Amino acid sequence: MTTSRWARLALAAALVWSQATLADPRVEARRHFKTGMFLIGEGKYDEAIAELLEAYAIKPHPNVLFNVARAHEAAGRPAEALAFYRRYLDANPPDAASVRETVAKLEPLVPAKAEPLPAVEPVKPVDPKSRPVTPALDEATLAKVAALTERLEKAVEKAERRADDEDALPAGKTAPGEPAAAPVEDFSVPYEETVVAAARRSQSSLEAPNATTVITGDEIRASGLTTIPELLRRVPGAEVMTMGWSSANLSIRGFNQRINNKVLVLIDGRPEYQDFLGVTLWPVLPIGVEEIERIEVIRGPAGALYGANAMLGVVNIITRAPGTGPRAEATGFFGNGNLGGGSFVASGGEAVKYRASVGYQQADKFSRDFAEGRPDVVSAVPEPNLGLRSARANLTAFYAFNKNVSLAASGGVNRLFTEVYGIGLLRNYFLDGTGGYAKVDFTGGPVKVRFFWNHLNAVAGPQYAVRGQRSLETTLDSNVFDAEALFQQAFELGGRHQLSIGVSGRLKRLAWSYIGPLTQEIHGAAFVQDEWKLLSSLSIVGSFRIDRHPLILDGQPGIVPSPRLSVVFTPFEGNAFRGMVASAFRQPTFLESYVDLPVPAPGAPGASVLTQGSRRLVPESLLSFELGYRGEAARLGLSWDVAGYVNFVRNLIVLSAVTPLSGNEAFDARSQSFLVGRSAFENDPGVYRALGGEVGVTWNATRGLDLRLSTALQTIQSVENRAVCGPCSQAPAVKVNGGFVYRTPVNLDLSADVSYVSGTTWVEREPAASDPTSILNLQNPLPGFTVINARVAYRLLNDRVTVAVVGQQLGPAHQEHPFGNTINRRVFAQLSVQP
Amino acid sequence: MRQAYALVALAVVTACEPPPVSAGADRRQNTKSTRIEGTVVVSSAARGRVVVLLFDANRPPPPTGTGRPLTFDIVPRDELFGAVRDFDTGPFTAPFAFSLVNPGQYQVRAFLDANDDFIPWYGVTNEVNAGDVGGAALDSISRAPLTIDIPASETESPPPALDVPVSIGDTARVPVDRPAFEVAAAGTSAPITEVSLQGAPVLVDLRVKPVVDTLVKQPAPVFLARFIDDNNDGLPDDANGDGVPEMWPRVVVRKLSDAAGANPLADENDLDRNGLLDETGVDYEHLNPQTMAAIPADGKPDLVVLAAGFNAMELAPQLLDAMGRVKPMPTPLTRLPLVIRPLALDATNSRQPVPLKGVPDGRYAITVIQQTGQTWRVPNELQPGLAGRVGLTEVTSQSFIVRVGPK
Repeated sequence: MTTSRWARLALAAALVWSQATLADPRVEARRHFKTGMFLIGEGKYDEAIAELLEAYAIKPHPNVLFNVARAHEAAGRPAEALAFYRRYLDANPPDAASVRETVAKLEPLVPAKAEPLPAVEPVKPVDPKSRPVTPALDEATLAKVAALTERLEKAVEKAERRADDEDALPAGKTAPGEPAAAPVEDFSVPYEETVVAAARRSQSSLEAPNATTVITGDEIRASGLTTIPELLRRVPGAEVMTMGWSSANLSIRGFNQRINNKVLVLIDGRPEYQDFLGVTLWPVLPIGVEEIERIEVIRGPAGALYGANAMLGVVNIITRAPGTGPRAEATGFFGNGNLGGGSFVASGGEAVKYRASVGYQQADKFSRDFAEGRPDVVSAVPEPNLGLRSARANLTAFYAFNKNVSLAASGGVNRLFTEVYGIGLLRNYFLDGTGGYAKVDFTGGPVKVRFFWNHLNAVAGPQYAVRGQRSLETTLDSNVFDAEALFQQAFELGGRHQLSIGVSGRLKRLAWSYIGPLTQEIHGAAFVQDEWKLLSSLSIVGSFRIDRHPLILDGQPGIVPSPRLSVVFTPFEGNAFRGMVASAFRQPTFLESYVDLPVPAPGAPGASVLTQGSRRLVPESLLSFELGYRGEAARLGLSWDVAGYVNFVRNLIVLSAVTPLSGNEAFDARSQSFLVGRSAFENDPGVYRALGGEVGVTWNATRGLDLRLSTALQTIQSVENRAVCGPCSQAPAVKVNGGFVYRTPVNLDLSADVSYVSGTTWVEREPAASDPTSILNLQNPLPGFTVINARVAYRLLNDRVTVAVVGQQLGPAHQEHPFGNTINRRVFAQLSVQP
Repeated sequence: MRQAYALVALAVVTACEPPPVSAGADRRQNTKSTRIEGTVVVSSAARGRVVVLLFDANRPPPPTGTGRPLTFDIVPRDELFGAVRDFDTGPFTAPFAFSLVNPGQYQVRAFLDANDDFIPWYGVTNEVNAGDVGGAALDSISRAPLTIDIPASETESPPPALDVPVSIGDTARVPVDRPAFEVAAAGTSAPITEVSLQGAPVLVDLRVKPVVDTLVKQPAPVFLARFIDDNNDGLPDDANGDGVPEMWPRVVVRKLSDAAGANPLADENDLDRNGLLDETGVDYEHLNPQTMAAIPADGKPDLVVLAAGFNAMELAPQLLDAMGRVKPMPTPLTRLPLVIRPLALDATNSRQPVPLKGVPDGRYAITVIQQTGQTWRVPNELQPGLAGRVGLTEVTSQSFIVRVGPK
């Protein structure tokens, strides 16, 4: 066997080994890269090159090749420098012209005669103290090296895919509203944590105008969790309120509630917000966690970019780009609580790249509210224990006409049974139906055009029926059509500008028996954003969006503005200070605008409470002031994020107290019941001030071990000092999350995370015990609770097979809302195969 | 291998274990309640929806008590009668049910709302009128109101009470309207809206007051007066030995609440208007009836009424026959002379009211209870200031109060 073959094998083995023992490859590669760059500055070129090549081995990135070339050049080894410059040029970098000039200068310095073999051996990633072999080369050998390098690149890519570590691929750069893009080279700062949600373009987290948190695909897979809300507990400031296995409400920085409606959830830029109800139905999502590239969370208002409902934050779920990742992956799991399911994901294609997936999942409820055989309350569904059953399929395809023009199409469907916990007097509902979407994205140079259709058709109703009481079962058919055009262009004018201009329109059509006949609304929006890099260390981001809502001005169409101004100051590399002022809003939902529903008064079968919407609601609004600091010590593998905020929330949309009706309205012929009174959606005249801070630290402590710790403190006060303040007492004052991921060198993976949420008091509507026709707001204390999730996994056959045991909710049984399930532990086995 | 099988079996068993029943902190789940269900049987040519009322057996409705319904169910007209001809007398049947019923003893009453004017939320519309057809769940042997016993259970929901028959028939058709009245000074006919009770008894006349608007339909109110003669000796009874013959209608003069923010029609110490004394409220010093010594306030809310009764001597000529015996049938009257004494009682125990040390200042309402169980009370929702809010026509005389002390 020749030396080069040994070198190739060694490289490939090292790559596979290195991939197999990393907790978060991006973090570890970044640490080596930073160390290498530091050593270049110190003039320690050989050590620097070793570090850089190790970083490259962990996650290939063309800029690393460039820096290796520079190190060789500085060390007086023109042949090696030339070889790496050429490899860099193969990636077609934007600075190719200047690099070619450098190559032209170096070529005469390289001897024409044969010389010892090139530096293809240097990757000894396991030992950072190893030194690359740096013999001189002749032209013929260099040619061989080039060919060899190309083959090695492919080996690297294969290893990369096997390890399913895709951070450096442009899928991670996919902007919301864009399709998951096909792979092209990335010339950004290597291994930088990037976000796209904060500015609708790929940028470093350090540059982001908002507080952001990224949960990578590696973290997701290392957790073993199968539900997205459970993953979001690790986001500082996020409040995940699990009502049932398939029903969770997410809020950020307070104001959580049953049917939370103030956080916008996107999948590849497409909203999953159910406009009719104002909630994200997590089980309706047509993808599985195994398809997620990363989850970006904006903690704070983002209405300036996303318009309505991005009030407290945005969760942008970015899926793997078509054609990337494992060509095929099958996953199955089985555990207690009748938990079971599986999925199959295929990804590939040449000209047309695709990712296709199917999945199935089912689980029982955590707990039942009522026992079977009760004389007065019975289950209204045929399977009273069932909490979730979902069968889904998704297809995403991408075609690039050329470098600048591309088309992506995707669609998905989800046939499901799930739980939804209602508001007011209502409790847990079932929803049995079909959700689906179709989406087309066209990119033509600086212009991106997107169209999507969201659909949900379902039967829903209370899971537990009170005998003798009128049923509230209902049908709904929701269709949302949306089109958006986005223009993005960079230019120079007193500094570098990144300009984004967009317009969008949305048609919502809803047939729902709770609101009456088919109802539709037409919405429109326009927005502009400029990121002005005034100095190398100072950026100003100005954003402004207007949204047109058909009912916003006292029942008439009107405009809602959402401005944002942010300043980002980076005095030192890896350290960014951020200041932001922004406003955002949440528009009334169909339920809040149109509902007209007599809700049976529990215990009084002849009486109902009329719940009505109002078309004169003004949007809930948020004015936010935020200061933040994000920093890192890359060589130590340490990064941190600190944020403090003051939010003023106005016009919360709430259900009014039950007010008596006139005698003429006392009897409701539809329900054949007498109406206790009317409770209408109205704007709360109160103003709430939320004051809080968040601190998060992540530490790549040693090879394969990542640690994470965050805490969030908050207090919400009524500016009017109300004696009973629901939003104040319902917000937990303290949240703490900590966790680790350890990928041992012996193929054993360990991970765990612990979340603590302090106690709260929920002000909820209830019938009085002595008189069921008297509906009162009562206080329900909820003690603090702890959530523990953990996973133990073992990898086989070069990571092609992974077996794991996952424990979810391993902490003490608890409730996360007084009316929710009693959450108890689920333990399940997982098997993942990548054929 | 056996161990492997055992592990697999254990895993399967664990996986298939049903979710536990856990009510958590939701007070609506933390119940051990049951249901009472049965059938309404209507034998009448009257048409309308049937209102089924559930009462605490220990607090029955007038005339035997003063209890208010705990809850109610509606049996729609279409469900009962469908498309049958109007003169058909049935019987017609339809189910009813009360759910979330806690352990206790209950009685079920019902009526067919032939006038379509029942509204449960207002005192002036929440009772039967002339033409409505009454009914109840009756004991099949004694024909007395059936008491339904729901036993308590520590561990599980009590068993349901099923097949409760509720009979509604023309024999119980309500003959008259409610005793709607207004108050006039004694011997006059002009209504007044207030009378002041000082140190001496007050004499007033209650006069029937027809009220007809879109919601309240009392075109021909009448007092059905009769001396009570339960021992059939032909003489009026005097069960409490106060020297005043007992008679129908009965009258109650109860103190109204003057608490800030309270409904102006709410009784004192019953701010939620559920017919039960609140857990906390106003308490007064009492008198020992034998020694007339003061008894300090005990911290429990009192049900304060004024000593009052109709002037039996004035009514006797109309309620006795020529032989001076009690007329067996009620006599319809349009005027009742009422005497209100400056004596306050705590009627928490209605069978044994205890005198209070003083007469508490404040407003008092007058309620007349007819032998049919129908009642009327002033002040009520027809009074100016309230009527408009609930869509009723204002009737000034319906704001009448008895006032003690300064305004």
